[in-house]
Order: sequence, then C-alpha cells, then structure tokens
Amino acid sequence: MTPVDIHVRGLDVDFGRGRKVLSSVNMDVTQGEFVALIGASGCGKTTLLNVIAGLVPVARGTVTVRERKPSAGRGDICYVLARDALLPWRTVQGNVEYGLELSGVGREERAQRAATYIDKVGLAASRDLHPAKLSQGMRQRVSLARAFAVGRATYLMDEPFSALDSQTKLVLHDQLLALWEQSGATVVFVTHDIGEAITLADRVLVMSRAGLGVVDEIKVDLARPRSAEALQADGHYHDLYRRTWTALKASAA
Amino acid sequence: MTDTASSEARLGAATASGDRSGLVAVARLLFLALILALWQGAVDAGLANAAFVSTPVSVVKSLWSLARDGEVFPNLGTTMLEIALAFLLSIVFGIASAIVLDRLDWLNRVVSPFLTAFNSMPRIALGPLFILWFGIGIASKVVLAFSLGYFIMLLSTLGGLKNVDRDLLLMSRLFGASGWGLFRHVRLPWALPGIFAGLKLTLIYCSAGAVIGEMIAAKSGLGLMLQSLSGRFDVAGVMALILIVALLVMAVTSLVDLAERRLLAWSKGSTDV
Repeated sequence: MTPVDIHVRGLDVDFGRGRKVLSSVNMDVTQGEFVALIGASGCGKTTLLNVIAGLVPVARGTVTVRERKPSAGRGDICYVLARDALLPWRTVQGNVEYGLELSGVGREERAQRAATYIDKVGLAASRDLHPAKLSQGMRQRVSLARAFAVGRATYLMDEPFSALDSQTKLVLHDQLLALWEQSGATVVFVTHDIGEAITLADRVLVMSRAGLGVVDEIKVDLARPRSAEALQADGHYHDLYRRTWTALKASAA
Repeated sequence: MTDTASSEARLGAATASGDRSGLVAVARLLFLALILALWQGAVDAGLANAAFVSTPVSVVKSLWSLARDGEVFPNLGTTMLEIALAFLLSIVFGIASAIVLDRLDWLNRVVSPFLTAFNSMPRIALGPLFILWFGIGIASKVVLAFSLGYFIMLLSTLGGLKNVDRDLLLMSRLFGASGWGLFRHVRLPWALPGIFAGLKLTLIYCSAGAVIGEMIAAKSGLGLMLQSLSGRFDVAGVMALILIVALLVMAVTSLVDLAERRLLAWSKGSTDV
C-alpha cells in the first residue's frame, strides 16, 4: 500500500470568537496522488489547504504532511496561489529562477533548470519578457514553471486557473498534468470547476457547505496520460461530471 | 491564447514607436526660442521694462561676466557642497528611517503625528534659528536643506514600502524566503519607484534650502551673491545666478533619471492602456 502523504484527522479550525470554519474534518492523501477539493464557495476548502500549508493554525485534531506538522516555508511543500504572484521587475527567466534561488539552488543550476521548465510550459520564446507583457494564461504558466522547477514532494494549489477562459484552461490543464506526471509529487488542488477537477484528479473530494469537511468522494478512473481536450468528447468523463454535480448539489442541501 | 499574447505585444509596440527623440529635441529648441523671443520682444516693444525683467541678452552677458570674473566659482563650490551633503544625508537617513518605521508599526504609530508636525513647520522661517544654532558656515545651510529633504525621502520611501503586494510576500515566504529575503527581493524593489520620485523632489528642496539659507546669512555661496546682486538691483545678475542653480539641479536630475530608466525598465509601459 502506498504511504499516506497528507493526514488530516478530526480537524477543527476557528477564526476567533468561536466562529467555526471547519469541524471534525478527515482526509488522507497518498503519496503521488492528485486530489481535487471542490465545494461551494465558503465551504472552507481554501482554509483546509492553508492549514496543510501551515498558514492557518489548527484548533483541534491532527494534521501531518509526511509525518511532520505543517509550517509555512517548509522545504518539501510548494503552494501555488490563485493569483500568479510574479515579480513584475523580473523577466520570465528571473521569476522561474526566483523559486530556485529561495530554495538555495546555485546560480548555474538555477539558470539551467529554469530554462528547462520554461521550455516545458512552452514559453522559451518569451524568456526575456517582463510579466506586464504577458497574457493571463502565460503568466500562470510561468507560475507553474516556477513551482515545478523547485521539485517538491507536495503541491498545494488554490484555484490557480480560476481567472482564465475555458480554452486557455484546457491548455494549462495539459501542461500541469505533464509537469505533475514527470514529478511524481502529491497534489491537492482546490477548485470550484467540476470539469477541471475531473480532468486533473485521481480523486475528487466534495466538501460540505456547512464546513463539515469531506462529505463525498468520486474516484476518477480515467486512463492517464489524459488530454484535456480529448476528454471533452469522452462519455465516461461526462458520467463522472454528472455524478460529481449530483454530489455537489447534495452537499449544499 | 496566442492571439491575446500577440495583440498585447502589438499594443506595447505601438506605444514604443511613439518615442521619436530627434523630433522631441527639435521641438524643445523651438519652444525655448519662442520663450526667449517673446521675452526680448516684449521689452523691445515697450510692453515690459528691462530694468525689472531684464532681457535674455543681458542675462547671457551677466553669465559671461560672472564666469570671466571667476568670483562665482568658489561660491558655486560652497553651494554645491551644501546641496550634496544635504542630499546624501536626506537619502541615507530618510530611507533608513522609512525602513525602520515600516518594520516597527508601533513606533510608526507613536512618532507619525510628530513627523507630521515637524514637516508642517515652515522650515524656511526657521532659517535664522538654524544660523543661530549652527553658525554662519555651511553647517546651518546643510541642516536647513536636510530638514526639508529628509521628510520627503522618508515619506516617499515609506509610501512605497507600505503598499507592497501581499501575494508577492506570501508567495516568497512559502518558497522559504527569510525576513531579509522578503526585504531584498520584494519590499525594496516594490518601493523603488517611490524612492526615485522622492529623490528628484528631495534634490529640488535641498537646493532651495541651501540657497535660501545662504541668503539669510553666509560667508560664501550663490545665495550670498544673489543677496548682494539683488541689493544692487542687478536683475540680469540675479537671473543668471538662478539659471546656474536650475541647470545644476537639472544636470543631477538627469543622472537620477538615467539610473531610474535602467533600474525601472520593467515598469515602462505597464500603465499604458
């Protein structure tokens, strides 16, 4: 059996004055697994992600990532924010190198690895441009390259594609899948887009509106490697979509 | 998506091609000629009295005689030294104070009304007191100029440091950045446009402070010369001296501009719509 990477048991989180955001949440993510968290807005999915990242304190219960307590800036976890958070004064190359630089990678290797990952997301021609000259989709690709260039064991992603149009999203899905498959990393991906969750994940966890955590789970048994575009015409993809939709409706009731 | 990218690239290219520097230089010369012609013409036509407003020709003559006498150079040296000292002190202490106040919010809350109070005082009116306290030499002028420049540098740097994009800080921290790393990689570059805006204003206020300080009481300096020339109603001489100060400030400003263009190349065109 594959070892458990992220372990959440009986987690309570409150934002002061006893306002409970999450109560008795359980979740396990195995090593190398891609899990999508979906739920209505306000269900606490980003909060759960922030707890795992060590940004939000645990009120009760246990949370461990590879048997260690979460803490922000841990060298084995990478968090990808909803906004691309590129440094406007650095070029594409400089931004991808930034993550490596903060991870303590030497100058030469930094430049080399950044170039490789920029290539992987198809931005080799834009390497010397500043973010202001890039489209939203390109900026998010730089953010992905920066994240995967540092090669960490766990990736936490908070709706990184929510600002993109649906065509651009499909391209980014394929690139994310390619990067992830080569990395062997564990991914927890927060989204409110059912199609995105099914396209990417091995498992879709549905969170309840009431903050009770994971109330349903859909196993996505689509073959890999997947193509986001080809899936649009796949009957089984649409079956899974319907099942997830029903589960999401039930969770909100 | 490639479509949006290329249309955005075109947008940038269109604005960049508007930069025809040769034409701009010619237009500037024409504008200068127009002003000088209007000035000279007004005096020649009897609309203005040369005894009050002088003429471009007499200003140039005064400049020439100032240069030939050589009396202006030691005075210019004094004023330049005062401006340089005050400018450097304002930069060092202004930026350092801003960094401290940005990191220590409680201190900022304690001292901010006092800073506002000091900054609201008409420092020029304190000039005679500064001379009383720091003597008739260059120290009093440096203090007066510094008292103007310091606050400008402090407030513009602090303004830049205060509104840093939170996501950039969060992202950097999650990638493992230390406090120093956050400062070096995010806060300082973010504050740089504010710092440059402050530098240019600080220079102007430092030069005004130094010259005005010299006009109150001094042993040497352009302000002292200005005072004696205006006492003799030498309008052309006064204007020639003011022109020297203006050219001096412009020359340093253009150096600052050059540094700004190199360091802030990334922000060029980012506000084009």
